[in-house]
Amino acid sequence: MKKKKLIAALCFLLTLVMVTAFTGEIEVGAITSLPYDSYNYDYRENIHYTPAPYEPAGMVVGTELYYNGESIGALKTPQDICKSPDGNIYVADTGNNRVVVLDSTLTKVVDVITSFNNNGNEDTFSQPYGVAVSEKGNLYVADNLNKRVVVLDKDKNVILIVENPQSITLGNNFVFQPLKVTVDYADRIYVIAQGQFEGIMVFDTNGEFTNFFGTIGVNLSLWQKFWRRMATKEERANQQLYIPTEFTGIDVDPEGFIYATNIDPNGIQAVRRLNPNGQDVIRKGENENVGGDLQTAGTSDYAGVSQFVDVVYRENGIYSCLDRKRGRIFTYDNEGNLLYIFGGRGTQEGTFELPVAIETVDVGLAVLDATRGGIILFQVTEYGRLINEAVGLRFDGDEAEAVGLWERVLELDEDNELANSGIGKAYLTAGEYKTAMKYLRLAMNRDYYSIAFKRYRNELLKDNANAFLTILLVIIIGINVFKFVKKRKKGVAADE
Amino acid sequence: MSKAFSLEKWKYVFYTLSHPMDGYYWIRHADKGSVPIAIILVVLFSFSFTTNELLASFVVNDTDPRGVNSLYELAGVLALYLLICVGNWSVTCLMGGEGRLKDIAIAIGYATVPVTFGFIVSTIISAAVADDEQAFYGIILGVCIAYGLILMMIGIMQVHNYTLGKTLLTLILTFLAMLIIIFVLLLLSNLVGKVYNFIHSVYLELVFRT
Repeated sequence: MKKKKLIAALCFLLTLVMVTAFTGEIEVGAITSLPYDSYNYDYRENIHYTPAPYEPAGMVVGTELYYNGESIGALKTPQDICKSPDGNIYVADTGNNRVVVLDSTLTKVVDVITSFNNNGNEDTFSQPYGVAVSEKGNLYVADNLNKRVVVLDKDKNVILIVENPQSITLGNNFVFQPLKVTVDYADRIYVIAQGQFEGIMVFDTNGEFTNFFGTIGVNLSLWQKFWRRMATKEERANQQLYIPTEFTGIDVDPEGFIYATNIDPNGIQAVRRLNPNGQDVIRKGENENVGGDLQTAGTSDYAGVSQFVDVVYRENGIYSCLDRKRGRIFTYDNEGNLLYIFGGRGTQEGTFELPVAIETVDVGLAVLDATRGGIILFQVTEYGRLINEAVGLRFDGDEAEAVGLWERVLELDEDNELANSGIGKAYLTAGEYKTAMKYLRLAMNRDYYSIAFKRYRNELLKDNANAFLTILLVIIIGINVFKFVKKRKKGVAADE
Repeated sequence: MSKAFSLEKWKYVFYTLSHPMDGYYWIRHADKGSVPIAIILVVLFSFSFTTNELLASFVVNDTDPRGVNSLYELAGVLALYLLICVGNWSVTCLMGGEGRLKDIAIAIGYATVPVTFGFIVSTIISAAVADDEQAFYGIILGVCIAYGLILMMIGIMQVHNYTLGKTLLTLILTFLAMLIIIFVLLLLSNLVGKVYNFIHSVYLELVFRT
C-alpha cells in the first residue's frame, strides 16, 4: 500500500516536471530566440510589443556560393539588390566591380557579370552601386565611377549607355554619378545621382534626360526665416545653405508609381509615393507620419530619427522601408498605417551592421548588409502572414472575408488596433452597429466609430419612438393638468 | 462653522451667479459669502474636471485615462487656487484694492461654478455626439468657461471697487506675481535642499569618522 502511494506520487511529480519543462520550453523558445524586438505604435504613440512578423531564415554569403565549381568569393561592400521578373536576384557587388546573379532561392549562382560587350569592345564596371531589371529582362546598372548607367540585354550586350546628361537645369559642371536606378513598365529610367538635391533624374527610353522628378521642398521654420531676414548679405553668404535631403532608395510598383526614400531630419516623412507627374501621393495614416520610429528622443548615437535607405513595394499596397539607424524594417499599408516593425542591429543571425538595400524574395524578405557582405533572409511567421493576407483582402475590398484572419491576429496579439479596426468595419457593413462600436472603440478609430454610433443612435430612436413620444405626451398633459388644478384652487380661494 | 454653511449662504451662491454685480458687492460689504463654501466649490470643480477627462466619450476626448489621477489633479487645482488668490491679493494690496484675501477667495471660488456645470453637462452630452457633432460639446464647454471667466473678472472688480481697465491691469499683474511666487518657491526649495545636503554630509562625515 505504501509502495503504491509512493509510486503514484513519483509518477505525478514526474509528469508535473515534464509538463512544466515542455510548456516552458515552447514559450521561452518562441519569445527569446529572436535577436530583435518586434513592436508597433498604438494610437497614443506608445510602443506595443507584438509577436514577430518575420523570423530570420539564414544568411547568404559569397564564400558559400559556387559558380562553375569555384567559390565566387566574399561580396565586398555590396550596395544594391534587385529581383527580376523571372525570379532571379541581382546583387551589385560594388567593391568587386561585378554583378552577381542568383536564382530565386539564393542558393545557386546563375551568372557573375564582370564584363560585357560594348559594341564589340569588352567593357567593365567601376563601383556599380545600383541594379534594376526591367519587365523585358534588361539589366540596368548604375556604374558609379564610370559616371554612366549601363543597360544590358540577357546576353550581356550593351543596348544603351546613359552618360553625361545635358540640360540647362543641370548646369555646366555637373558630374553624373548614379547611385540607385530603377525602371518602370515603359522603360523610363529613374536615377538617384550623387549630390543631386533637385530630385530623381528621369531619362526616356533613348537615354535622354527629360526632367527632375519628386523634388523635396525645403521647409524653413519661422525662427530660421527670422534670422535670415535679420542677417546682412555677407552673413547670409557665410551661412550654411538650406538644401533639401537627397533621395536614398527607390522602387517602382506595377502601376508605375515610384516609391522613394529620403532621410527626413524631422522624422515625419521619409518615404514618398510619386505619381507619373512627380507628385507625392502617399497617405500618412492616423499619425500623419511615414517616417519610421515615433519615439526617437535621447542623446546617444542610437537615438534620433530613423534613416530610411531603401524601400521595396511588396504587394497589395504594402511596402517595407529599411532603417539604417537602428536596422529596423518598417512595413506600411496603402493607407499609411504601420503594420509591423522588426529587425535590429548587431552581429547575430538576423541582425545587420550596415543595411543598405531590401528586396522581396521567395522566402520572404532579403536585406543586403554592406559591412557583413551578405544577404540576410527573413521568412514570414503566422502573425505576419495573417496581417499581410488581411490587408490584402482589404485592399481588394473584401473586408468581410478578412474578419476571420483579424480574429486570429487578435488571439496572437490582443491589442492590435488594425485587427480591431478591421473587425469593427466588417460588423459595421453587416449592420451590427453595437458590436462594431465595441471593436472600433478599441481600435480608437473615431471616424468609423462615429458612423456606427450614428446608425446605432438612429436605430435606437426608431425602435423606441413610441415610448419616447408617449412619455413626452404624458409629461405635457401632466403639466397642463397641474397648472389647471392650481388655477382652479386659486380661483376657489379667491372666491371664498 | 454652522454659520458659514447656512442655507442662506448656499442660496447666495446662486444669487451671485445670476446677479454678479450686486452679488459680489454685498459679499464684500455685508459678509454674504463664505470661504468654506468657496473651497468646496473649487474641490467640486476639480472633480468635475477629472470626471470629464475620464468619462467623456472618446470621440471628443483625447486624454489617456491611464495618466489621470483625481487626487493629483485636486492638489494641483487647490495649489493654483491658492496661488491666484495670494497673487491677486499681493498685487491689489499695493494698488488700492479694497478686497480682503477672504473676498478674493470667495470671488474666485464662486466663479468656478459655471465651469463645473459645463464640464458635467458636456460630459453627459458627449455620450450622444458623433465625430462631426463635436461642436455641440465644444460650445457648451466654451460658453460655460467664458461665463466663469467673466464672473471671475466681475468678482475681482467688485470686491476691490475697481474700474474695468484697472481690473484687467491687475489681472495681468496677478499673472506676473504668480510667476514670481513660483520662482521664489523653486529658489527656496533648491536652497533648502542644499542646506539639507550640507547638514546631511556633515552628519555622514561624523558618523563615519567615529
